[in-house]
Order: sequence, then structure tokens, then C-alpha cells
Amino acid sequence: MVEVRFENVFKRYEDGTEAVRSLNLVVKDGEFLVLVGPSGCGKSTTLRMLAGLEDVTEGQILIDGSVVNHLPPGARGLGMVFQSYALYPHMTVSENLSFGLRMQKGKSRLPADEIASRVSGTAELMELTPMLDKKPKELSGGQRQRVALGRALVRQPKVLLMDEPLSNLDAELRTQMRRELRRLHDELGTTTIYVTHDQIEAMTLADRIAIMDDGELQQHAPPLEAYNSPANDFVQGFLCRHIDEIVETADSIFQRGD
Amino acid sequence: MNTGIARNWYVPVEVFTIRSWLTVAGVANLLLCTVDLLREDSLSLLMRMSAAILMLLTVPVIPNEGLASRLRMRRDAAICLAALSLFATVLCIGSASGAIFDVWAGLLLSLPAMLTIWWLSSPHVSAWSGGKMSNQEVEEGLVRNQRLRGRYSAIGSHLVLLHAAAIVMIPVLWILDVAVSPGNILGGDLFDSFSGEHFSKVIGGDNFWLWTRNSVIVSVGTTLLGLSLAVPAGYAFSRFKFTGRDTAMFSFLLVQMFPGIIILVPYFLLMKSLGLLDSWLGLILAYSVTALPLCVWMLKGFFDTIPRELEEAALLDGCNQMQVFFRVVLPLSLPAVAVTALFSFLAAWNEFLLALTFNTSNDMKTLPVGLASMISSTGQAWGDFAAASLLVSLPVVILFVVFQKFLIQGLSAGGVKG
Repeated sequence: MVEVRFENVFKRYEDGTEAVRSLNLVVKDGEFLVLVGPSGCGKSTTLRMLAGLEDVTEGQILIDGSVVNHLPPGARGLGMVFQSYALYPHMTVSENLSFGLRMQKGKSRLPADEIASRVSGTAELMELTPMLDKKPKELSGGQRQRVALGRALVRQPKVLLMDEPLSNLDAELRTQMRRELRRLHDELGTTTIYVTHDQIEAMTLADRIAIMDDGELQQHAPPLEAYNSPANDFVQGFLCRHIDEIVETADSIFQRGD
Repeated sequence: MNTGIARNWYVPVEVFTIRSWLTVAGVANLLLCTVDLLREDSLSLLMRMSAAILMLLTVPVIPNEGLASRLRMRRDAAICLAALSLFATVLCIGSASGAIFDVWAGLLLSLPAMLTIWWLSSPHVSAWSGGKMSNQEVEEGLVRNQRLRGRYSAIGSHLVLLHAAAIVMIPVLWILDVAVSPGNILGGDLFDSFSGEHFSKVIGGDNFWLWTRNSVIVSVGTTLLGLSLAVPAGYAFSRFKFTGRDTAMFSFLLVQMFPGIIILVPYFLLMKSLGLLDSWLGLILAYSVTALPLCVWMLKGFFDTIPRELEEAALLDGCNQMQVFFRVVLPLSLPAVAVTALFSFLAAWNEFLLALTFNTSNDMKTLPVGLASMISSTGQAWGDFAAASLLVSLPVVILFVVFQKFLIQGLSAGGVKG
């Protein structure tokens, strides 16, 4: 059971601004949760607090039933995909993949042959095998994206975190990767938290979406439920009206074609 | 193609090339007038200046578009101006001697004017300025322009670069000439005779190797100490927010603004009370400290360009702060670290004033100080001095050649984003 629980979490900066206010949210085992909201709504901060890259000002974050507020990022058993991919430019793809495994200390450290087999397994899963010896700069955007995803998955994380991972890809690749991500999740069943500002991405990927605005959680529900019964005006405007507009635009294009 | 337009805009390649070359030549000749001024050669000055001014006057006269009216007249006027300039040139060269410099100055004065006359009176330009070109010829001219334009601009830029290279190389060649000439002479023609006596004398002497040892120890020590201080400092300034950070950065810059001689006396007193006069450590400390501000700023600037997300990814991969630095940040910063290392090595290798003041005994002199002492104590041994200077510059040149390859590697490219 890997369950992520935010209990009354606050993030307050020194100048008094509150990025996240009183967040209560449970991410169930194996769930694909998408955090969605306009920029500056606190969704990335929430993810970074869970990852350990930002301090939690108040409240508790629990992974698997234990409080992780003061654990270093590497000890939380997470994999993360960054918006910019953040691949290590001086390492080959295979070194990028194995770096996290090689950095483990003490008992959790794997023997070399186990590391090698995990890397080759992940490379196969992500279709990276032919480019294992290449440096990131020799890869295309889509390939870099898959390396970043592979690097997050190779450690078999308890929770997979993704911070707008598709925003640097072109439209076609984005659709393709979206399908890929959903397929991977169905295959591996890793609990996943995904941050995006794109409503369509949220609707198509999520088991459940959590809509945030101005540091506060507005609603969390399965996508269709959120669309059909928005909890308040903000959700109505941000999610429902936005999607209706897209549908209307599409309709008008097709009508013109007739 | 609409040949009407082509016809209106067509300009032969010679015309716009000579316009730019004449501008450069005119300005260069005006600058050369200072030499006549220093020689107090008033006839030459007058002639050179009028030739240069005539060249610059020719430039706006040369027609620069096919649409311009009175093409023919302007072309002829330009040729006349160039001829006048050539006349002044002849008078100027007539009064000059046959030294290399005068030959070069004469060529710089005469060639542009001659080229102007030749090119502007060529059949092609004549036909163009007479407005007698058929559409067919205009099209051929455009093709010809495309072919010749690159060639002419390459010739022009190479001529300029050749001069720049000569300005840098001539002093070195001169020193080389003094070093390989027998006896103790500064003048004479370049490479008229050859002898290795100065080199063998310098290399054979004890002093040179003693000073080299001191210089190497001090320079390497400075580099190591300077880097071990500057790298962590630069990283901290780049990544962490702490009280007094901005003030510290500013005061680093402030220290750089004082001339070195101001700190000479306090440093000397400090070294004296610490008992570090006539020692390697004293110089190493002084050099590291003086080079530190610039090194820290250089490194901070580079660390700033390394994306934070890389470090965050490493944190999530299980690194602690130290491992993040040594496994990810430092390997990516090697080019910057190399530049900084080179900088502190060179600063220490070439420094004169502090070394002269601190290390007075012959055993502890560094190379620059040792070289300087050769001039006075052994009755101006110019040959030995030149040979030793070349030997001293050699490691620096080698370092540059080695590091150059390393500096070009764009290690950070491609790691982040597409």
C-alpha cells in the first residue's frame, strides 16, 4: 500500500505570501492523480514539498504511513520527471539511468549486475536500448523525455512525480507521450502525481484530478465527475467552460468544412 | 527575373569593394601620419595626409548604385581624385628611406589608389557607368558579383588580420632575433646570423633553473590554493542566500579596483611579521588572495548557468549536497575551472612587484625578477635576457595550447530542454 497523504499542509515564504494553504489530500495506492490549475496556484510547490525540494512550513506529508517532512529527497523513494528533463549532460544515457542506483548507500545499495539488469530492463521498457551509449545532447526531445522518465522509473519508486513533463514537446509528440504515459501507468501501477496547467492533459490522463487555485484545493474528483458537477465557480470557469470552448471551436471548424 | 529592377540596382563588385577598401586605407594612412609627426618630417607628413584625405574624398564620389545620375561623371571624378592621391604618394615615397617600415607604408599609400584607377577604368565598369549594358550583360554581371564578392571580402579581411597578427608577432620575432644573434646586440637585420650561445648559457646556468623551480612552485601553489578557495566560494555565492552575500560580492569587486602598489607596503609588513619573507608560502598566499576576487566572480558566473533542476534531480537520485557538487556541478564546470586555473597560474607566473619586494635573496627569486636582475647586474646581457624571456614564455604558450581544446567543449549544451 503506497498512499500519499497531505495533512493540513501550508507553505509560507519569508515575505508572508502563502503558496499553499491548508492542503488536505489523499492519493490512493496505484492512483494517477493530476494536479491542475493556473500558473502560480501552488501545484508545483505542492509537488516540490512532497519531493523534499521545498520545506513544509506547517502540517505533515505522509508516504506509506510515515511522515517524510524531514527526510532528504533521496530517502523518500520517489522518482521525478522535471519539465526541462534535467538529464546529466556529462553522462551517457545508461549512466543517467544508473546514477540513482549507484548513489544508494548501505543496505539499499544494489550489486553491479543487478544495476545493469535494471538499467537494461528500463531501457527496453522505454525503447532506449539503441541509444544507451549516447549523450543527452545527441538525442531528440522525445528521446530525452523518455530517458528522464526511465531515470525516474529505474529505481522502482514508490511514487512517481511529474512536473509538466510534456510542455517542451511539440503537439504530435505530446499526444503520443500522453498515450504512452497512460499505458505505462496501467502496466506498472505506480502511484503517480502529475502536475500540469493543461486541462485536456488532466482530463485524459487522470484517474482523479485535483484542481487548485491561489494555494487552495478547489475540488478533487474523477475527471468526468469534476466536469459534470463543478464544486464552485472557479472549477466551472477553469475546467468546464474551457473544455466547452474547445469543443465549440472544434465544432465550428467542422461546420465550416461542410 | 525582372531585368528592369536588376538593371537599376546592379553595381559591379569592384565598385563597392573599392569603396570599403579605400575607407580602411584612408583611415590607416591618416593614423600613419603620426609617425611622420614623430619623425618631424613635414614634407612627408603633408603629402601622406593629403593622399589619405584624397582617398577618403574619393569614397563618396564613387557611384554606388545604378540609379544614380551622372554615373559617368562621378566615375571620372573618382579616377581623377585617385590619380591626385597617387601623385601625392609619389612625392611622399620619394623622401623615404628603404627600410622595411617605409616600404610597407609606401605600399599602403600607393596600392589603394592604383587599384582604384585600375578597377574604375576597367571595361566592365566603364560599360556600367556609361549605362550601355544590355539586360543579358546585367544578369551575367550579377552572377559574376556572386562569384567574386566572397573572394574579395576574404582578401580584404585577411589583409586586415595579417596586419593584426604582425603587430602581435613582430616584437616576438625581434626578441627571437636578439636571442639567436651572437654577441650582445639589439639592432641589426632580422635573422642575419644564428647562434645558440645565449640559450645554452641560460640553460646551462644554475640561476635559471633555480628561478624556474621557484616560479613553478609558487605558480602551481597559487593555482591550487586559489582554486580550492574560489570554487567553493563561487558555488556558495551562486546558490545560497545568506546574510552579507551581496555586500561580500561587492567588496570583492571593490578590492579589485585598487592598484596593486597600494597593498605592497601593508603586505610587506604582514609578511615580515609572519616571517614569510623570502619564502614560497608568502608569495603563494599573496597571489592567491589577490587573484581570488576575479576567480570567484568568474566561477560564480559559470555556476549561475548550471540549471538548478540538475541539482534537484541529483538530490532525488540520492545525492547529498557534497555529492551533488562533486558528481554533477563540478564535472559540468570543468571548462570554467580550467579558465580560472589558467588565469591564476598566469597571474602568479608573470607577477613582478610583490616577488621583487618579498623574495630578495637570489635563491628565492622567481623568473620575472630573475630576468630583471640579469639586465642590471651582468651589464645588459641582452642576448641572454632575450633567450631567457622566450624560455619563460614557453610554458605559458604550451598551457594555452593545451587548455584551448578543453575550453571549446560546450559541456553543458543539450542537457536541459530540447
